[in-house]
Amino acid sequence: MRNLLYIVIQLLVIVMVAPLLNGIIKKIKAFSQKRKGAPIFQMYFDLYKLSRKSSVVSDVSSWIFKVTPYIVFATAVAAALLVPVSSLIAPEQIPGDFIMLVSILALGRFFIMITALDTASTFGGMGSSREAMISSLIEPSILVSLFTMGLVTKSTSLLPMMNVMKGIGFPLAHPGCITIFLALFTIIIAESSRIPVDDPATHLELTMVHEAMILEYSGRHLALMEYGAAIKQLTLITLLVNILIPHDQLIAITGIGAVVLSLTIYLIKVIGISIIIAIAEVSTVKFKLFSIPNLAAMSFILAFLGFLQYFVLGGCYVLF
Amino acid sequence: MVILAELKNKLTEEFSEDIYKRAEKSNELYLEVNPDKIVEICTYINIEQGYPLISMFANDEQSFCDKYAVYYVFADRERGVLLIIKTLVDPQEMKIRSITEKVHAAALYEREINDLFGIVPTGHPNPKRLVFHSNWPKEEFPLRKEFDLKQKLDFAQEEINFQKVTGEGVYEIPVGPVHAGIIEPGHFRFSVAGEPVINLEAQLYYVHKGIEKMCEGQSIEKCLYVSERISGDETFANSLAYCEAIEKIAEVQISYRAKYTRVVFAELERLTSHLGDLGGLCLDAAYGFATFQFRMMRGWAYGIADELCGMRFLRSVNKLGGVRKDFVEGKEAKLIAELKKIKTELDDTVKIIKAKSMFIDRVENTGILQNKIASDLNAVGPAGRASGLYFDVRKTFPYEAYDKLEFDIPKHYNGDISCRMNTKIEECFQAIELMIQALETMPDGKIFVPLNCVKPYRFAFGLTEAPRGENIHWVMTGKNNTIFRYKIRTPSFCNWPALCHAVKGNIVPDFPLINKSFNLSYAGNDL
Repeated sequence: MRNLLYIVIQLLVIVMVAPLLNGIIKKIKAFSQKRKGAPIFQMYFDLYKLSRKSSVVSDVSSWIFKVTPYIVFATAVAAALLVPVSSLIAPEQIPGDFIMLVSILALGRFFIMITALDTASTFGGMGSSREAMISSLIEPSILVSLFTMGLVTKSTSLLPMMNVMKGIGFPLAHPGCITIFLALFTIIIAESSRIPVDDPATHLELTMVHEAMILEYSGRHLALMEYGAAIKQLTLITLLVNILIPHDQLIAITGIGAVVLSLTIYLIKVIGISIIIAIAEVSTVKFKLFSIPNLAAMSFILAFLGFLQYFVLGGCYVLF
Repeated sequence: MVILAELKNKLTEEFSEDIYKRAEKSNELYLEVNPDKIVEICTYINIEQGYPLISMFANDEQSFCDKYAVYYVFADRERGVLLIIKTLVDPQEMKIRSITEKVHAAALYEREINDLFGIVPTGHPNPKRLVFHSNWPKEEFPLRKEFDLKQKLDFAQEEINFQKVTGEGVYEIPVGPVHAGIIEPGHFRFSVAGEPVINLEAQLYYVHKGIEKMCEGQSIEKCLYVSERISGDETFANSLAYCEAIEKIAEVQISYRAKYTRVVFAELERLTSHLGDLGGLCLDAAYGFATFQFRMMRGWAYGIADELCGMRFLRSVNKLGGVRKDFVEGKEAKLIAELKKIKTELDDTVKIIKAKSMFIDRVENTGILQNKIASDLNAVGPAGRASGLYFDVRKTFPYEAYDKLEFDIPKHYNGDISCRMNTKIEECFQAIELMIQALETMPDGKIFVPLNCVKPYRFAFGLTEAPRGENIHWVMTGKNNTIFRYKIRTPSFCNWPALCHAVKGNIVPDFPLINKSFNLSYAGNDL
């Protein structure tokens, strides 16, 4: 029963909130350009519109093309289930750990990459090769960050991790956590195809990474792809805020009220992070493609610094 | 003219037996030469004297001399002299000796003449069709006078061959002709090894409209409207070049008030065009803030245009013999205030973008157009001035009131995106200064001088500096106030091959940025 309730609440929150973040980021970007911008709920309307349209499928494509949108959406949702939005709604145990999380996301990415090759269009292959380059550079950084947190919390599973961090109170007061936070933030920027790694708003196929891979999609399939990307982005943000800025320890009341309060604080944190993402996007310019490894290296170094601090300093983590 | 005499003497010394006829008109020297010696003569002029080939065109002159003529236009930019070499081609033979091997800038012109007139350049290194590709029958040549515009042609089908680059891991990326966004059509064939571009071939002329043919036989007034519609964002520069040519033929001196008014409009067009280019450049680097700053300023500049003449794209401003109305009268003070507002905003924006190291990193040393390539291909305008070719028609062949106004030519040498961007930024400031100067010193007087009927078979050049660079129109009048031949050479025609060279060695995702830094017109090239 508890499990079922968790799945329902978790899915509702993630699926409902994910498109909102894109709306908020776009709105802030519009303000920086002296524009009013689209309503923050625009992505919901777009998804609704796309879901009602039929999909155009190239007749030279194989089953991979048709299956990929569902796999991408499913892997994003499955990944979302591993990262509880609030520890109060979580069951005793959630099967799977962060290694599984990274692998599930990689599965979705693998399918996007091969589907881009499937239609043999001009830009798909280019997008795939760039995505392969970026993700292979970013993945070590994710794993090192999460392993460090695993060392600190003595668990690879995300729920125990959250519970331990909750006990620390305010982890960002510790230098090790700050570097991990920055590393994860950079990863979110890269994984959700944002400036300076990729430009989600561009129309120039030759510069695209993520957009180039989904260029052939339309209608329902496109809706699933975009929804999947939005959910993946929110999952990563959830991972960041719930582990490094835990909030459930502050809630004194119990019962339904506590859950509502916890979710509200969660929402505020997520929106806060998306505002920071928007500011990062506004204040940067797209990198040269071959400068992206520098960003990945920076992220890895930050993660590795956090990792070293666990052994060298030790102290800041040995609070419990 | 001392300079012309000097030039003539030099050539006569070298090729006394091969020069048949001479004619001089103000700053244009026409020489009719022996077609068998054309390569030697052009090589002498281009390589030994260092005068670039700035235009080349053919003309069907069977109606008065039973032959086709090919004109090679060289320019002495330091002294403002045009040297036009003319050779006659026998209609039975229809062949000329290709000069491309020696004078590289001739490559595209000779292919164009081959397509439009059927005059074959023998010995051309790459005689691929240029204007017409796959669907136009091979034996139809529209610019011959006997070609009937109303006929229906068969649809030919032919494959387009692109330069093949082979090797391990080399593959081709076909892009276009239909692009994302509102862009004109053009096909780009990249040969790449991973991300670096080995070769780029641009296949243009998808919007060939036959403007030159359409104008033949039309009245000179009607062709003014056509010239305004050659390329949407160079309306004024094109119509101005056309007016210049016709006014030279009709031998009228237009009033100074009209000349100053034309300067104001020409600079306004330059300002809007450059602000648009700069905005586009920032957009392609995903620099949202700067993009919208430039777009806002361009909006203000369009507002000025709208207020002056009720038309943001400056159509119907020029008239043969002057301008259509006294557009600036009573608006000077307000205009100057508006221009100063743009200048302040531009100043602030430029300071911000130049302090943005990430942006500068994108534009510096990307898309370098080497000086040697630029001068061989006769790259013009801001692209040329960024690569060390410091010429500007406003200085070398002063027209309208430019010899009375003070301005500088931006000078850069590196030839990368950053240089082209800085050239355009500096030209924006110059354009604002020029407009303010022209408005402040504008003399009183009439705004237009009526034109009499023009005599048949007279010809003249009209040169202007369009926002994209040197713009050359050559007009030959026919009987009854009509056009016999109208040759348009826009700056884009010269700069497209330069763009293809600038891209080589860069990576694919930098192409849009390099392309935007040139920002060439498709309509103005395809004609």
